[in-house]
Parts: sequence; C-alpha cells; structure tokens
Amino acid sequence: MIRHLQPAPALRGRVVVLGASGFVGRDLMDHLSSLGVETLGLSSRNVNLLEASSVERLQSLLRKDDTLVFASAITPDRGRDTRALMRNLSMGEHVAAVLEKTPLAHVAYISSDAVYADDAGLLRETTPTAPDTLYGLMHVTRERMLALAAQKSQTPFLVLRPVALYGPADTHNSYGPNRFLRSARGDGKIRLFGDGEEKRDHVYIRDFTRLLGQCLLRRSIGTLNVAAGRAVSFAVLARTITKLCERPVCIDCQERNAPITHRHFEISALLQAFPSFAFTPLHEALAMTAGQLAAAA
Amino acid sequence: MIGFAGLSHLGLVSSIAAASKGFEVLAFDPDRALCTDLQQGRLPVYEPGLAKLLETHRERIRFTPDVRELRECDVNYLSLDVPTDAGDRSDVSVLHERMMELLANSAPGTALVLLSQVSPGFTRRWEQRLRSTPEWRDLSLYYQVETLILGRALERALRPERFIVGCDDPRQPLPAAYRELLDAFGCPIFPMRYESAELTKLAINMYLVSSVSVTNTLADLCEKLGADWAEIVPTLKLDPRIGPSAYLAPGLGLSGGNLERDLATVRTLANEVGADAGVVDAWVANSRQRRDWVLRVLHSEVLTRNDSPTVAVWGLAYKPDTASLKNSPAVHLIEALRTAWVRAYDPRAVLSSEGRPHFRQVDTALDACRDADALAIVTPWREFALVNLALLRERMRGRTIVDPFGVLDKARCMREGFDHVRLGEPLEVKETVA
Repeated sequence: MIRHLQPAPALRGRVVVLGASGFVGRDLMDHLSSLGVETLGLSSRNVNLLEASSVERLQSLLRKDDTLVFASAITPDRGRDTRALMRNLSMGEHVAAVLEKTPLAHVAYISSDAVYADDAGLLRETTPTAPDTLYGLMHVTRERMLALAAQKSQTPFLVLRPVALYGPADTHNSYGPNRFLRSARGDGKIRLFGDGEEKRDHVYIRDFTRLLGQCLLRRSIGTLNVAAGRAVSFAVLARTITKLCERPVCIDCQERNAPITHRHFEISALLQAFPSFAFTPLHEALAMTAGQLAAAA
Repeated sequence: MIGFAGLSHLGLVSSIAAASKGFEVLAFDPDRALCTDLQQGRLPVYEPGLAKLLETHRERIRFTPDVRELRECDVNYLSLDVPTDAGDRSDVSVLHERMMELLANSAPGTALVLLSQVSPGFTRRWEQRLRSTPEWRDLSLYYQVETLILGRALERALRPERFIVGCDDPRQPLPAAYRELLDAFGCPIFPMRYESAELTKLAINMYLVSSVSVTNTLADLCEKLGADWAEIVPTLKLDPRIGPSAYLAPGLGLSGGNLERDLATVRTLANEVGADAGVVDAWVANSRQRRDWVLRVLHSEVLTRNDSPTVAVWGLAYKPDTASLKNSPAVHLIEALRTAWVRAYDPRAVLSSEGRPHFRQVDTALDACRDADALAIVTPWREFALVNLALLRERMRGRTIVDPFGVLDKARCMREGFDHVRLGEPLEVKETVA
C-alpha cells in the first residue's frame, strides 16, 4: 500500500537514477526526459556501488532536493549464488550508508516480486515475504536496509515490487516474453517447459516506468506490487508471439523440471493509488516489443 | 425497575425492548440534550421500527441525565457500544469510566449486567474488583452476550434465539428481577462462566465470518470459472449441514465494525496465549479483496476508458436499513475514485464532501446518475429496485451498471441496453491484457 505525499503531480528537483544503463534505468531516463524532468543517470562507470569509495562519491553528487531511484542489481542471469547475493548486499550497504547521512526529497527502491514465495497464492502487498531464491532474499534485505536508512535521514521512501518486466532492451533473457520473442525471431522456436501451463503476470517496461514516474511525481511512500492483475499462461504467451511473427514459429514442449506453480496478483492497492492507470494490453505491448526488436535488427 | 446506562444504538434498542415487555425502564445517559430529545421521542439513530416502538411504550421508559436515579433499579445494564479505532480494536476506556459510575450509583443487591462488547477476561477482572471492595460486595455482576445487527436490531432484541449469561458461578440462580426480565422474552437462557460467555460471542461471529469468507471465495471462483453462484446457492440451502439461513449471499467483505472488532480481538488473544489464528488473517485478506471488487470492475470498464469519468454511487451506508458508515465499502470506493467525479445517493447515510472535492451527495437516486458513465450500487437498499430503468437510461451517459448484490433485474437492465455486472456470475470485463 502506498500513500502520496504530494496531492498533485509535480517534481521540483532532479531525479538521480542508480543503474541508469540497465533495462529499467534506461527506460526510466527516457520516460522522465520526455516529461521534461531533469535527470542524472549513474551507472557502475560513474559510481561503482561495489566499492566502499562509492559512498563518498555518491554523496558528493547528491543534492538535498534530489529524488533517488535505486534500480541497480546483479540480476539472476549474471549470478544466482552466494557471491552474487553478497555483492548485491554490498551495493545496498553503500547506498544505505549514503541515505542514512543524506536527507533527500524522495527515494524509490526497485525491488522484485521474487520477495514472495513461489506458492504463496494470490499475492498482495500484505503477503508475507518468503523468498525462495537468494535473489529474492537480497531484495527483502535491501528493502529493510534502505527503509532503516531512510527513516534515519527522514527521507520519504518507496518500494516497488515489479513482476517480470519485458521490452526490447531487456538483456536478461529470462523465461518469458523476451526469451520467447528472441528465440522465435532467431531459430523459429519457442521452448516451453511442459505445456507452458504456469500462469504469470507480465508488465511492459514502459508501463512500469510510467507508473514509477507517477510515484515520483506524487512522492509516494510505502510498498506497491507492480502487476497488471491478469496472469496468463506461458502457453498463451507463446501462441500470442507466434502470431506476431512473419515466418512460422514452432512451439517446442520440453520436459518440465519443476512443479507447476501459478502467480496471480490482487492489485487493488495499485488501483486505489492510481485509479485511472491503464496497463498496455499484452498483445499490443508484445507487438510493440517485436516491432522494436525487428527494427533494431 | 430496569436501568440502562449508555444510550448508543445498543442501549436504546435494549431499553426500548425491555419497556415493550412491560417493565419499568430508566434509561440514563450523561448527555442532557440527548435525554431531552429521547423524552420527546426523537431518536439519534436510525433503526427500522424503533421510533414506533418507543412511541407505543413511552409511558414505561424514562430518559435521564442524572446517574443517581439508577439507585432505584433492581437490574442495571451497562449498555454502551464500545467504539473501535481505525484498526478495529476496541477502546474500552469509556467503559471503565461508566462502570465506575454505575458501581457508585447502584443500590446494594442490584444485579449489574454488562451488555457492551468486551473481550474474554474483562468481566472476571471487574468481578475481582467487586469482591475486593467492601462497598461493592453486595452487588452481583453478569455479562450478557449481545448480537446486535444494525437494521434488524429490533427483531433480534424482541425475539432473541437465546440468552447467554456469563456468571461468576453459573450454578447459582440468577437474581429474581434479572431472571424475570429474561423470562419475559420466552427463549432459552444459558448461564455459564464469564469467560465462556465472552468467548461465545466471539464464536458466533467467527462462524459468521467463516461463512461470509467461504461464500465470497466461491463467488470469486464462479466469476473466473464461468459458473453462477446464484445457481449453486439453492442446493446448499437444502443441505442441513449448511442450511437455509446460512450466509450464502456474496458481498463486499466485512463491514460495520462488529465482526472486524471480533477478528481483531481473536487475533490479539491468540497472540497472547500462543494459539494459531492464521485463519483470521486469511479472512481479513479475503474481505479486503472483495471490498475492492467494484473498484476493479470500474477500473476495467470505465476509469481507464474515460479521461474524466463520472461515477454514480447508490448507497453509502455499510448495509441497508442503517445510516452507519463504519468500514463501508462505498466510502472506500469513493476514496479510491479521486480521478473521477462521484455523485452519490443514500436514503439515510450522509458522507461529508469535506476533503473530497471529487464527491457530491445528492437527494435522489436518479439525480446521482446525471451524465454518469457508470452506476455502482454499493448498498442494496430495497428502494433502488424500484427505480425506472428507462429514466435511468435517459439520465446516464454510459451503459455500465455495477450491481454487486443484484438489486436490479439483470434481464431488464440488458433490455434497456445496460451492461450489468453482479457478484458471483461469470465476469466478462474487458481485460487489460490479452
């Protein structure tokens, strides 16, 4: 559940984005620029959050009226092990150290729905966090670290927990829209586990950054899941993608190596916070993504 | 004479019901203006039939702001409704104050009866204080379970199924005056220890909540699986293990405050003693999910399709035949519709527009629908079923009627060109994803 500190959308200061060269960061920078918002994008080239020196460096770059978006993490495609966990926590530790000493206008942390258990049933913000992976555990821990730090510096703090995001610039290649689109374009095959029965909620990257943008403009605080509220099976997803491809695409059902789990979200909190926010219909967003991938090729 | 201290909804209904059974009643409240109004037959609460019953039995009930007059009574009820906070937790501080006042103004030998909503342990703690205070030793203390249902309070007060009476020692007979009063209602009396009686009240409400939650869960499944809950209900009513009076009508979650209070109490108690109350959390989550059903339908059908939509809301009270807004789904909905214009009508309840610039309450159901893109019937007042659908069609700009309780006839609505959506039927909302 979130609460808006600002009754009408307005942003006076600058938005500083940590992880600006990543999938979310880049799209957010584009979106904020289109709104005329002043931004400062930081990536590991400018401030390497893995290094202790990043604390001083980041502190020197931040201004009191800045909004900080923390969208930087070592994602599961780059490591799922303890080392990746510790590196992510180290990044969180450094950002928390800055936040503790530096009051800001607003801080938004981009977490993940991986904080919930795979079999947690219908998910909502009040669902207890019980991550099944170290990646999810990392996000839970960073949420807490940053919340404590923000409390110390009395900085308004927001956590967004998005489901799997997709869009043409995604590099993660995780099981879902991006991988299906790429493999359909590549070798003309979409590989499903089992018959692709599992249902998941997917959010188009620009929908996510539009929503995040609204949170920044309203200085929203609290925790919000970002899901469209309608889960579809991987099989439906795959069939939708095959229809978007010019050449025939084969759906290849492979042996399942994990039990079937579904993931549905109850999004009343999102609707209450942003009653007129509309997610792009899945087929439209997939078509846009496919078109952009084709154009880029 | 029977005394009642505390004239909120519970005290008024109970005192007037006692007078109607032929007893002389003294009804006390420190609010002098309230007593003057009541003495002249003006009630501060809306409860069907209550004003008429008061009028009929007015010669046997006297309202007084003077607490000392309670010394004349043989039985003194503490009948104040206990208020709850935003987290549905009881605030019993007023009750403690009133209890002290009642003890100081009851004659030796009086039976004191707690009718207010208290948690297990409350009455025993007061009993121990009575026994350890010499001037109160001649008083006896009882806890009587109330199951007030707003809108049906009178029917339940006049024809209770049973009386549940918490006692210090249930083997001892009840005081004659108290027994005479209870006997006048002609129903079984169950004396039991305080803790059992206090827990009985919670047990009744927990069973109701579990029925409500099961119904809502299954109605939700119906909507998503293409089944119609209305077709299933008659079969369940014929099953003696479920029964014709079971709570089988799907709704918008728990509201009104009483059930929510008892859930909060059970959770607190379980936490204190180390019992598992996980089911309570599930009920609360289920209730919140169903509460926002109208918002989800409106979001899909209207809010994302219009830049500046107008939504008509029929009903503000948490249920029909009451003016109470406590935990009302309509109020939650209106709070969430801040990007729309909302015009609402309710036959009894009033919601302030202060701090709600998007909201206006109007005087008729049809007026609320002027140029509306959608109509949401959040409280199923009977009068809404009588509205002329052709006129409704003329007034509204849009064609969407969100009618969770099925107040309007679906077939007639569809003949008039409306899209009609009800709880528990296959939901064909336009999806925001493929």
